[in-house]
Amino acid sequence: MLIKPDREDLRIVAYALGRIFTVVAVASLVPLSWAVLGREWHPFASFLLMIGAFAFLGQLGLRYRPSDERLDWSHGMVVVALTWLAVPMIGSIPFIFSGHYGSPIDAIFDAMSGLTTTGLALVQDLDHMAPSLNFWRHLLHFLGGQGIVIAALVLFAGGGGLTLYYGEARDERILPSVRSTARFIWAVALVHLVVGVLVLGVIAHQVLGFEWKRSFFHALMIFFAAFDTGGFAPQSTSLGYYHSAIFEFATTVLMVAGAMSFGLHYALWRGPRRALFKNLETRTILTTFTFTMVLTMVGLGAAGIYTSVQGLTRQGFFQIISAHSGTGFSTVPSSELAMWGGLAFAGMTIAMALGGMASSTAGGIKALRIGLTVKAVANQTKQLLLPEGAVVSTQYFQSGRKRLTPQLAQSAMTVALLYVALFLLGAGVALGYGYGLQEALFESVSAGASVGLSVGVTEPSMPMLLKLTYMFQMWAGRLEFVAVFALLGFIYAWVRGK
Amino acid sequence: MNRRSPLPNRHGVIRIAMVLLVMTSLLGLAGPAFGQGSALVPVSELLEDGARFDHITITVEGELVGDYGFRDDGFMWTQINDDSYARDALVDGGPRTGANTGIGVRMPSELGVDLPPVGGYRLEGPLVQLTGVWRYHDPDRGGESYLDVDGMLVVESGRRLEEGPDWVVFALGVLLLVTSLVMWRRNRHLSLDWR
Repeated sequence: MLIKPDREDLRIVAYALGRIFTVVAVASLVPLSWAVLGREWHPFASFLLMIGAFAFLGQLGLRYRPSDERLDWSHGMVVVALTWLAVPMIGSIPFIFSGHYGSPIDAIFDAMSGLTTTGLALVQDLDHMAPSLNFWRHLLHFLGGQGIVIAALVLFAGGGGLTLYYGEARDERILPSVRSTARFIWAVALVHLVVGVLVLGVIAHQVLGFEWKRSFFHALMIFFAAFDTGGFAPQSTSLGYYHSAIFEFATTVLMVAGAMSFGLHYALWRGPRRALFKNLETRTILTTFTFTMVLTMVGLGAAGIYTSVQGLTRQGFFQIISAHSGTGFSTVPSSELAMWGGLAFAGMTIAMALGGMASSTAGGIKALRIGLTVKAVANQTKQLLLPEGAVVSTQYFQSGRKRLTPQLAQSAMTVALLYVALFLLGAGVALGYGYGLQEALFESVSAGASVGLSVGVTEPSMPMLLKLTYMFQMWAGRLEFVAVFALLGFIYAWVRGK
Repeated sequence: MNRRSPLPNRHGVIRIAMVLLVMTSLLGLAGPAFGQGSALVPVSELLEDGARFDHITITVEGELVGDYGFRDDGFMWTQINDDSYARDALVDGGPRTGANTGIGVRMPSELGVDLPPVGGYRLEGPLVQLTGVWRYHDPDRGGESYLDVDGMLVVESGRRLEEGPDWVVFALGVLLLVTSLVMWRRNRHLSLDWR
């Protein structure tokens, strides 16, 4: 029998949401300050309204203090799922009033894309957008990539919050407590922020010849989008705007760092570095990267799209890194990407679907699940070849030696299958609207795996249902389904439960 | 009084014809620099089928946006947008017509030195006609595509645009913030510990 959530359950959820909205209201003071410094009074007014809305809802939630504040698993998951729905909706207020969006849905689409670090965009006339609004688009990448709920965990005192941490699709606790893990994640991001912005800024000034102020503006935006594997860019031509191999290389390093799990970052910072190459996930991602890279290069070479080895290598390498890390930067226009048929299309789509590492800012199925699935299949095959009754035990290395249990293998395969279903959903809707199979599949995988590369399907004039489908894909894909199912179950129990 | 005819006499007609002929020839000679000797190609066509124009001298008209990047190799890089926003800025009430349509351009630094401010927020950049060779997947630049400019005509020099605050939005924001502050004063006794 389904148990209907009682008033106390609702109070717990409302109270937790109230805390998170308060944190987001405080974080939103940053773009507001940017608007003040730049004397951008039109965006300033809309940032004020957004902060007011977050603060008001935050305080409203805090009024419903439950008698027992302890969050259980289902509460935590519901809170995470609702946070990731509500923040893009309220966070889209500055976009709605900017005049750069055709409808509020388009503005929410971009806010959802920003927060889930996807990078698909419906913005119009980006090249004339206010810098503070552009900054907010990229800051959403940072908040979403690092985890808004994790930010709340860092700021609020007290331990616990484990369920919220896992709800945001973080698979492993690096340090003994969730709070110290959350702090470590933010420390990694801040160190990369300082170094990344400095390096990109100096390159932009010294090599690209931009003014100092503009150099650091570009550096900050690109850092947010690269390290958080987002994919928004300050100019409409994405990374193609810079026309610089060295700038692309520096961005590639940040994309790779963003696609690495925070556990691996920890190993690189403090732990034994040998663990890096023993890791199942590292080995898996190196294998899948090589495979998709070769596939794409052979495809591009066979199609004769690039006439020189340098062109083929630079463009192919950048695009595949961008796809595999789930970033979505591009140095070629979407119309050109749409022409990458055959093996190049297959290579790019597979790379996007596989994604980065678990507990990273990247999306997609994730290397760990691929590695575990392959090991489980190999295990099954071995079992078939051995005499009846023989027991095959498989181990893998991931932050220490672990045993591959049937439950773990099943869980990895289930999530992988759910991703495939998610990709098929978006592709099916696009096919229904008359888009070609290749473009429908590419764009759907891009949305579901939080990548952001586009072959031109995502544009302001696309059908409303397709926009909503892609938004659902971004949301469900980023949260890796668990929190989404928990929310659906919560609502169902509320309606049908006793 | 001897009234003169308003029409030129035979010699006058020949003189005017000669002047027109010389002017036409001069414009013809300066054609590439003014975008007269090459086809005016929309940016959308370059993006759709760039290979068709590879190594061909073309002219592109649009607004310069983003940054002027003067590099050590003697070239300046920027972006030219050929979309409705180049002429009808959104801030000025221009229509929304989708994403920007732009390409990268490279020109000798001396061509770009005296250019008006580049387009951006509250800034309509210079509307220019750029003539040069379209380089599609240039092997010398790692497969980049761009317009290698050798002639430029500034059609309009661009202008600053105004965008004031939306007072209704501002007032709503203030109202919500004040309400939140009042609620916070009542709520602040609450613990913020997350157990």
